[in-house]
Amino acid sequence: MRKHTVSEVTTPRRSLGGIVILFSLVLAGCASDAELDTLKPQSDVARSIDNLMDPVLAVAGVVMVLIGGGILYMAKRDHVDGYEELDFPEQIHGNNTLEVAWTIIPAVIMALIAVATVVTHLAVNDTEANAYSVEVAGETESWEPVVVVVGQQWWWEYRYYFDQDIDAEALGDPRLLPEADIVTAGQMAIPVGQEIELVISSRDVIHSHWIPALNGKRDARPGFWAPWKLEADDPGVYFGQCTEFCGLSHSRMRMQVTAMTDDDFQAWVDQQMTPAAVPVGAEDYVAELRAGNNASLGESDSAAARGLEAFVSNCSSCHLIDGVNDLTYTGATTESGSAPDLTHFASRTTFAGGILNTYNRDGSLNRDDLSAWIRDPQAMKGNAANDLGDGVAPRGMPTLGLGERTISDLVDYLETLGPKPSDELIAQTEVD
Amino acid sequence: MAIIEEPLALESGQADIAERPLGVMTRPQGGNGWRDWLSSVDHKKIGIMYGVAAMFFFVVGGIEALLLRTQLAFPEQGFLSPQLYNELFTMHGVTMVFLFIMPLAAAFANYLIPLQIGARDVAFPRLNALSFWIWISGAIFLNSSWLVGGGGADCGWFCYSPNSGITFSPTHGVDFYAIGLLIAGIASLISAINLIVTVLNMRAPGMTLFRMPVLTWMLLVTQFLLAFALPVITVALFLLIFDRVFDSQFFDPEAGADPLLWQHLFWIFGHPEVYIIILPSFGMISEIIPTFSRKPLFGYSFMVFSGIAIGFMGWGVWAHHMFVSGIGPISVLAFSLSTMFIAVPTGVKILNWLATMWGGKLWFTTPMLFAVGSVAMFTIGGLSGVTHAIAPADTQQTDTYYIVAHFHYVIFGGGVLGMMGGAYFWWPKIFGYMLNETRGKIHFWMMLIGFNLTFGPMHVLGLQGMSRRIDTYSEGFGFEFWNLISTIGSYIIALSVAYFIYNTLRSRKEARDLPPPGPDPWDARSLEWMLPSPTPEHNFDEVPIIESQDEWWHRKYGYDEDHNVIRIATIEEAAQKGDAVGVHLPSPSFWPLVLALGLPLIGYGIIFNLWLCVLGGLLSGGAIYAWALEPVDDPDADHGPHDDHGHDADHSDDDDDGDAVAVGADDSAGDA
Repeated sequence: MRKHTVSEVTTPRRSLGGIVILFSLVLAGCASDAELDTLKPQSDVARSIDNLMDPVLAVAGVVMVLIGGGILYMAKRDHVDGYEELDFPEQIHGNNTLEVAWTIIPAVIMALIAVATVVTHLAVNDTEANAYSVEVAGETESWEPVVVVVGQQWWWEYRYYFDQDIDAEALGDPRLLPEADIVTAGQMAIPVGQEIELVISSRDVIHSHWIPALNGKRDARPGFWAPWKLEADDPGVYFGQCTEFCGLSHSRMRMQVTAMTDDDFQAWVDQQMTPAAVPVGAEDYVAELRAGNNASLGESDSAAARGLEAFVSNCSSCHLIDGVNDLTYTGATTESGSAPDLTHFASRTTFAGGILNTYNRDGSLNRDDLSAWIRDPQAMKGNAANDLGDGVAPRGMPTLGLGERTISDLVDYLETLGPKPSDELIAQTEVD
Repeated sequence: MAIIEEPLALESGQADIAERPLGVMTRPQGGNGWRDWLSSVDHKKIGIMYGVAAMFFFVVGGIEALLLRTQLAFPEQGFLSPQLYNELFTMHGVTMVFLFIMPLAAAFANYLIPLQIGARDVAFPRLNALSFWIWISGAIFLNSSWLVGGGGADCGWFCYSPNSGITFSPTHGVDFYAIGLLIAGIASLISAINLIVTVLNMRAPGMTLFRMPVLTWMLLVTQFLLAFALPVITVALFLLIFDRVFDSQFFDPEAGADPLLWQHLFWIFGHPEVYIIILPSFGMISEIIPTFSRKPLFGYSFMVFSGIAIGFMGWGVWAHHMFVSGIGPISVLAFSLSTMFIAVPTGVKILNWLATMWGGKLWFTTPMLFAVGSVAMFTIGGLSGVTHAIAPADTQQTDTYYIVAHFHYVIFGGGVLGMMGGAYFWWPKIFGYMLNETRGKIHFWMMLIGFNLTFGPMHVLGLQGMSRRIDTYSEGFGFEFWNLISTIGSYIIALSVAYFIYNTLRSRKEARDLPPPGPDPWDARSLEWMLPSPTPEHNFDEVPIIESQDEWWHRKYGYDEDHNVIRIATIEEAAQKGDAVGVHLPSPSFWPLVLALGLPLIGYGIIFNLWLCVLGGLLSGGAIYAWALEPVDDPDADHGPHDDHGHDADHSDDDDDGDAVAVGADDSAGDA
């Protein structure tokens, strides 16, 4: 009687049971306040995706339990601690009926899932938004609600064109877009309950635009305008994150969508359409500047005015402020050819690609982070702006080596580029 | 097919040279320590070298993973810089896929295919050695970018253009990625052709295709996938390196190119690659579960055909990696549906394994634990795969940790656990001693628990919206807890791997005081178990005549009239003694190694100085000439009788398969 030399045997009873329990715990852990949670849809389109996903997860869970349970059951019932001579069960080589059955049954389940997938998929990709009325410069425009979304390393730009139908040909090269009515960075405003079409592209590498509560993601690919859409049920702030690996600061490329009531959205449009405020004492300087003359502010008691001059001499080769350098601006010297539009910088509650708060929790300006950012952006967010060698354009904001007084003046000037948003919005949009 | 069949006469009059008249071209003889390994063309030695090297890179890739997980243990950590993090996750993926799992599968394929089909060696032994040496030189080249390339590649393992372009990745990391994978790809391609020819031409008499063990079948399908998938990635990598070095603008959007081309090329390779990784493990599971259920595999032909179906369908699903890339909705749908239906043959496999176990006598040895654990874990990975076959759902899941969880359940759960089972199963056959079972089981439980702690939570993290490839995360998104658990799990995996290595060394020491395992310690089913352990250099004393599936089992057992199993021969009676002398084996050669050494030189040349290419080309080209000119045999080597097995077609019973009679193993085990 031959018995095998290897005889230490433990039963796997606890094993797979443990796994199943662990896995259920893991799934139970999904409940949280996560702002990016994919299982908490806040719009019809996100809900339709969730409605498709949930039953499949349930079926998958059942299959997993059946297979895991089957293994456990057999392990309990049929396990042995080694073999005696001729200790054989019935030798079964197969069963065609069974095997055909468990080929066909999964195929049928898949076919059912496939039908539901086709229906939902076609609906999700159907971007026929109704026109939306916006008042622009006293006239009511019928806005085919399209927001042009452009990614670049490592922030998002949102452009609004109220008076033209947007299609890819009209937009052309994402690096050289036609002038828009409104340009913002990191935060997109939309009217609530209204399907908004997005056309998404990139000025450098591939990014992916994703607001989980409102819809799935869509890649931003250079040279191509990808159609997509968003809609929010309720007013509020919805968080997003770039999800296609896009280089050094991929993790620090975030964005938010603010859904507003119709009145709030109209108010937002009105304020964004006005040119930037000019600080007191800098009116003549700006007038000279826009006349194309070599302007100088001279001595000024106004920190904001000095900040404006510092902006013109240090920042205006990349950043645009409508009402200051819009007449001469031809794009940034960065690799993407762009930098955030600062016209209403202080009306946005985040900056630096959605990773820093413009305002503190108490509503005061976040001077610490703003100063630190202007002083050394590399320390706040690696952006490969410096040390790239000759002839290589910076990607992101370079460290400029400005003096502390200049930095302080710039922060004072940036604060004037409002209007400052409500404390409620500041609280809602706060990022860590 | 060597060019020179007759010894060349040299002019020298010295006696010993006259007896060995080939001068520098003389083929080395085996059996002299490390030179034996460097010049070996023995499929078993090559398999062992693949395995050892793969385990080395498993440790390298594992250390990279531990660094990544350490960075992610807590929010907003600065343990790794963003740049280093990006390089590490890229190299972790590349290392694990190309330098660990694929060569580990190659290790088993090399070692086991000839044994399972009753052959002396592979069809082209020198090419087999060449595959190994090219692969290892590519692997070392790829990793040398840490030392001489300014860091690893930083573009992710699928290296999307234009982020992989010279503008956005100005260091040499991506160059090393492209050229390193090109070199390693040559190895896989050669190996695939070699093993396909081996399986098709060198089966023992009577070993029809449908008598082959399922492992050999799955490995055969894998080799076909490799043979067709690798040319695609080769093209893509060529375009990439030309873009980077010579500004050829294949993928540069500023020059009018569409970077989507790279994604298509990469995934046309990349998806079959998934099955290249998983099918060998499926094969091993299909050997292990019947052995430890004491039943034949349930539905052999369904298992074989579902494997083939997976191999075919694997070509029609690649764009499911690109559902959010902006390709049109109908093309998304086509790939969505094809992806769903590849779940069907996969499901058949899982259910057939369960049916094999059903009513069996389940002996949970370490290999069995790993095999069953692998089935369970792969099931989870397969089910999460179905959830992202649903294109709309995938728009939420893709590029999040849910995907990371999914492919680790497939590749680690389905692939690595299964191959770990294979390692424990075939260890005594390969090394002649058993791995300690108690420690093996501890290893299994540590690895299984660590694996689930690491990758289970990633499902949650992904559904909570945590993106892939972010070097850190902020507080407040609910990511903190599960990331910490995941990091703890990764350290448990690391411990389990260390414990496995300890087990191999300790068991080897202990084996001196234990009886040898004998040819067939598990009472297994396929041909390799009729050979002594470890396998003698010449494999089979005489090539067996095959009469059925599970040939070895049928040599031990039969049925009485009531269909009860009866013993017809003991293992000792049925097994071969391994004492044949004078068996004609292919002679060793150094030229595969020399040829392979030239390729990294060409690689460095492309990156640093084109003159190095000339040097590398001369080395490789010279080696090709020397290879062609060396004699087919060492004149001093044994020349056994060439008819040491029957060529008798009558033995191949009633099967009408034209391949039924193998070419005599020793005849065609000549040379490439």
